[in-house]
Amino acid sequence: MNAESVGSLVVTEVTCCVHHQLYEPVLELLRAIGVPAVIHESGRTVRLRRRRRGEQTEDQPAEVLRFLVPPKATDSVFEQLYRAMGSSVRGRGSFHAQQCTEHILTHADALPDLSMGAEPDPPVTLPVSTKLALITCVLSTKGSAERVAELALEMGTGVPLVTLGTGTGMRDRLGLLRITVPPEKELVQVVVPLADTEVVVRQLVEEGRLDGPGKGFVFSTPVQEAVLDTLIRSGSQRHAASMEQVVAAIDRLSQGTEWRRRFTIDRPGTTPLMKRLTHISFICAAERSGMFVEAARHAGASGATSAPVERISLGENHGRDSARERCTLTVSSSLAPAVIERILDTSVPEPEWLDSLQTMPVPVAYSYRYGEAPMVR
Amino acid sequence: MGNKPIQVTGRSALIMVLRYTRRVVGEQVRAVAFVVVYLLAFLFVIFGSVPTRGLVVAAGIALVVFGLAFFLEGIRIGLMPLGERVGIQLPRQGGVLGVLSFGILLGVGATFAEPAIATLTSVARGVIPWQSPILFFMIETNPHILVLAISGGVGLAVALGLMRFYIGLSLKPFILTIIPFLLLMTLFISRDPRLAPVLGLAWDSGAVTTGTVTVPLVLALGIGVARGTGRTRGGSAGFGVVMLASSIPVLVVILVTLVIGRGVPAPMTEGEFFSPDRRGEVERLFRDTSQFEALRLEREARAIAAANGDDAVTHPEVSGAGVPGPPSRGTGSLPEVLRTLVREARGAGWAVLPLAALLGLVLLLLLRDRPRYFDEVALGIVFAVIGMTLLSAGISLGLSPLGDDIGRQIPTIFPETSESEQYVIIPSFNEEELFSVIDPRGERRFFFFLKDGADLQLVEFDASRYDRNAGTYQLHLDRSPEWHEMVPFLGVGLVLLFAFGLGFGSSLAEPGLSALALTVEELTVGTVRRWTVVFIVAAGVGIGLVMGVSRIILDISLMYMLIPPYVFLLPITLLGEEDMTSIAWDCGGVTTGPVTVPLVISLGLGLGSVVGRTDSFGILALASVYPILAMQIYALVLQLRERRSIASPASGGEA
Repeated sequence: MNAESVGSLVVTEVTCCVHHQLYEPVLELLRAIGVPAVIHESGRTVRLRRRRRGEQTEDQPAEVLRFLVPPKATDSVFEQLYRAMGSSVRGRGSFHAQQCTEHILTHADALPDLSMGAEPDPPVTLPVSTKLALITCVLSTKGSAERVAELALEMGTGVPLVTLGTGTGMRDRLGLLRITVPPEKELVQVVVPLADTEVVVRQLVEEGRLDGPGKGFVFSTPVQEAVLDTLIRSGSQRHAASMEQVVAAIDRLSQGTEWRRRFTIDRPGTTPLMKRLTHISFICAAERSGMFVEAARHAGASGATSAPVERISLGENHGRDSARERCTLTVSSSLAPAVIERILDTSVPEPEWLDSLQTMPVPVAYSYRYGEAPMVR
Repeated sequence: MGNKPIQVTGRSALIMVLRYTRRVVGEQVRAVAFVVVYLLAFLFVIFGSVPTRGLVVAAGIALVVFGLAFFLEGIRIGLMPLGERVGIQLPRQGGVLGVLSFGILLGVGATFAEPAIATLTSVARGVIPWQSPILFFMIETNPHILVLAISGGVGLAVALGLMRFYIGLSLKPFILTIIPFLLLMTLFISRDPRLAPVLGLAWDSGAVTTGTVTVPLVLALGIGVARGTGRTRGGSAGFGVVMLASSIPVLVVILVTLVIGRGVPAPMTEGEFFSPDRRGEVERLFRDTSQFEALRLEREARAIAAANGDDAVTHPEVSGAGVPGPPSRGTGSLPEVLRTLVREARGAGWAVLPLAALLGLVLLLLLRDRPRYFDEVALGIVFAVIGMTLLSAGISLGLSPLGDDIGRQIPTIFPETSESEQYVIIPSFNEEELFSVIDPRGERRFFFFLKDGADLQLVEFDASRYDRNAGTYQLHLDRSPEWHEMVPFLGVGLVLLFAFGLGFGSSLAEPGLSALALTVEELTVGTVRRWTVVFIVAAGVGIGLVMGVSRIILDISLMYMLIPPYVFLLPITLLGEEDMTSIAWDCGGVTTGPVTVPLVISLGLGLGSVVGRTDSFGILALASVYPILAMQIYALVLQLRERRSIASPASGGEA
């Protein structure tokens, strides 16, 4: 990729989504294993709950922690996280690793050295799934997260995560008329087998009715490894193991999720998907995303989604947390180097305003393009 | 793509604006619908009447809907982003001192700007010095001390609340010290007849300071400071300031009263007040003797005027301590409506602009920052002023008269009054037909026999109904005993039902609650839904009103209604998780807003004419404790459900 120019480093971003009650223990673990800082965002997980009157969705508060590790440390971090969450992660949380290119922390020693000493505990076999993709739906109409999350529950391999964000893009080009377009976005994220990505994106777009102007867009990023929360249904259970547990066991035996590829025949793609895109995400000081997004737009990006996050210092500056914003934008891969350069240039006068900037390939994405004929089904 | 502004044609711009309007107004139609339909249903079904001046009422309700839509949008796009921006920048650039001094400044500013505080002092002006010397002393003689105490209390509260985020303290120690202390002080003072009248004033000042503009602003500021200092662990930091701002001023007013009110004499008669023997004691109420002399001269002038049959100089009307009176009602003519709008616009400007200006100036000049969308914030502030104008005008033209229509008819559903309509005049009543009996206390009572149809009844003689000159007796009939037995409960039941629905419905439309609930939904990423918060708080207000009304009907002391829920609340608060606890306690401060208060006053006045006194103070205080209780219980349920979800066997079975 062009973006991997002079100053860049390949790192692994671990995203850990834990049940609200496990937030503090997991933070404590990360501090103990030497992670210097994590980016924290609040969200909720959606699952199905069996009730007398059929199944209903149920929300649980969840905390999302993101941090960078050297790619070779991923396995040991996974093992530690798995232990910290208890013997099982079902219902307690999930974590996944994504390889990305970092453009600011470009020295290898900027990353924590997580090569811990010998493990005293007997080694555990993790229910790790591989070859996955994270599908993110950015939804513009309030309340549509419910419908999309339910679809994601049906199609995903784990429990979907819902977070909130603010969109800038078309809205900013409307002048004062922009007040008529609410900037609030709901983000639904779900992990699926890599091979199913295209079909699931299409399904989400079509059944989630995202194929209209101003509804939202969908993109996917590759996930190398994940331990997923497969507690899709909560409540009483009739069998010794739930279907999700059986599926997880077969996943482990067949070392992958390829076997459960559901959609064997690719349906003729009625929804035009976009390919060869790049996902750019950066962490900046709170309320400062405006200038960076502006710079990105000058370089041709169409818009960005930002979410309030906080940077929790676990190392030397323990206890000195600060408000940050996490911005994500998806641009065509040919534009990416220019966009990255513009963002980095903008941070020169105030270098402490920009913490990190990462890029990831986007295999498949969907966005409504103006001027297209509405889809006929 | 890129950065070029999109050229929007006039037609599509219009479509966008219309869609936006439909969405925003539609939401408020739903919010207001319940209380309006409820009031109308009560009017039609129970009283069988229609609202007086129906058109004006309808127009007023439309104004309320548009006012709420404008106001909430203004808060959302203007005041809250501005407040949050200031909050984020403040700790970074101003440090502890910056946060503290800005908190005090904002608290004091908010108190002066909120129109309610003006109401508080202007309504209570007209206190009769000899009936409640302490109120006269606080409001007439030392208004500056009172205002200073209230605004200082709010300033202290906002500063403490913001500092709490800065240092990262829990709200619980504040709740667990302030509330019991406040209750003890209240209990203590209520036993002292000299100081007791101040309680109403003190508790109301707490309700008044957390107004519709202050609440969202203080919330946004708190969220900003919490974010700016990185104290957002747990997600919903930013709450708790409202709770402090509605309890600390009460405490400060009570304490100030204890300090400066020690030499104040007990209530006395007018004659005693002006008698020379008590001169020394009474003069302590005044700043100097000339003031007392002025009052004495005025009294003499009035006495002379009264003697001349001139009632131009009337006695200042007695008003309940500190309860804002019903807003003046127009006649409904167009000029009258316009006058109302102009008057409310002035009030709205005062409520919004000084605070917005304070925040804007601090942000631009001291923090050297500007909001992300300057034009949006400016438009938001304009929206907030327009919204507040339309809302208050709509309330005084539409919602309040509707409430009054019902309030006025409340007495008719009580049997005592409806019964008195049913009587017959017995002509040629002869006293000699009475026979006397004696009761255990030795008092003689008189009875006579009445033959009504086939029945022979023994009826007690009531001398006041006998007209000796005309020889007639007014006989009150109770033809159907079942009706008589059933109706007291039916009447009381109806009034309680009405009170519940009124509290519930008006809270649904309360803008402060709406802003708070929206913030809760955002900060909890939807795990606590906006309408859930609104419904629970509204139900709490409904229950609070039921308690308040039954207290008035049954004549129970306020203490018995107020202290148990608080006593119950304190242990629950200890058990609750930090973030939901602060949210729950903040809910208490947002319930007494511009929609609820006038309707509660109509209800109070209606009831007052039944039981012979008005006491809205108790109702308002109860309307804020029960929502806290309801929210705290809900929080506990959520918490248990959350804990259970992680420990359930279905989730822990795999290994």
